[in-house]
Amino acid sequence: MKRILFASMLVLGLAGCATQPETSSSLIDRQELKVDPEVIYTMNVTELFEERLAQTGGESLLQVQFAVEARSDAELAWKVTWFDASGMTVKGVGEGYRKASLLTGQTRYFKATAPHARVVSYQLHLREPK
Amino acid sequence: MLIRTVAISLSLAVLAGCAAPTRYIDPAADDGPVAMTMDYRDFEKAATDSVEDMLASGAVNNPNGGRYIMVVSRITNDTMQRIDTDQLTKKIRVALLRSGKVVTTTAVGLNGAEDEMSMKARELRDSEEFDQSGVQRKGTLQAPDLSLSGKILQRNHRVGKEQQVEYYIQLSLTDLASGLAFWEGETPIIKRGSDSSVSW
Repeated sequence: MKRILFASMLVLGLAGCATQPETSSSLIDRQELKVDPEVIYTMNVTELFEERLAQTGGESLLQVQFAVEARSDAELAWKVTWFDASGMTVKGVGEGYRKASLLTGQTRYFKATAPHARVVSYQLHLREPK
Repeated sequence: MLIRTVAISLSLAVLAGCAAPTRYIDPAADDGPVAMTMDYRDFEKAATDSVEDMLASGAVNNPNGGRYIMVVSRITNDTMQRIDTDQLTKKIRVALLRSGKVVTTTAVGLNGAEDEMSMKARELRDSEEFDQSGVQRKGTLQAPDLSLSGKILQRNHRVGKEQQVEYYIQLSLTDLASGLAFWEGETPIIKRGSDSSVSW
């Protein structure tokens, strides 16, 4: 009995000494295009362009255009999140995903314009609406 | 008597269990059922499409620098629903203000000022009760450069055994100096559903 108790205490003691799982402090780079696995089966992102639209006063607005080709009839929900130079999100008009329907073989083009000239990067997320 | 009481209690318990619980909906992740009437998602879509198009077209870029001053004119509700058109215009105003290109005046409106305080505060002029250094002076209110007007239309059709409801959100941005529409946009929102569902 004493031996079992001693062994248990030893195991617990060793477990306490175990090094903590390493937590990485380096952050993962943000992807510009994020496509959910459910969407990949039915469609393909064939183009993703970005350009800056010149504005008065030397400013410019980021605009993103992408094309999606459907392999079968499918529903799509997409959203662009905008970021400034510090990586902070810049609020757009709405928060919701925009929905679109695609027919088999159809290629559809979508466009989004940044809400402010200070936007320098974006993340486009494509998912399947439930 | 006891059996009847137990039966009633059990029925009530079952019915209470069937009621949908009240819950919060996150507008950023709402895949809930679609109504035949116009809901917040439709206004958000129309506002997003309109603002992005306005910004991309350059219509709200003031060639003299600085921000344009916009006034919200009449948005006619030609639908079978009671719609507060502020649901649409507020989103557009907020987004344009955030863009740094347009600021909306609340001191002028078709049916009087949206915020009457701009004029009321000026009635304090020459009042001995108020420190006149803080009272607004003459000629400080800014006149609008642009006017936002529009119309929301609804058309109902019967398509087979279903009903199709079409909404068209039409907006114009008029340059008040020339009377010319600098920007115009239309967002169609088409819904098809059960013929028994109502759209008013």
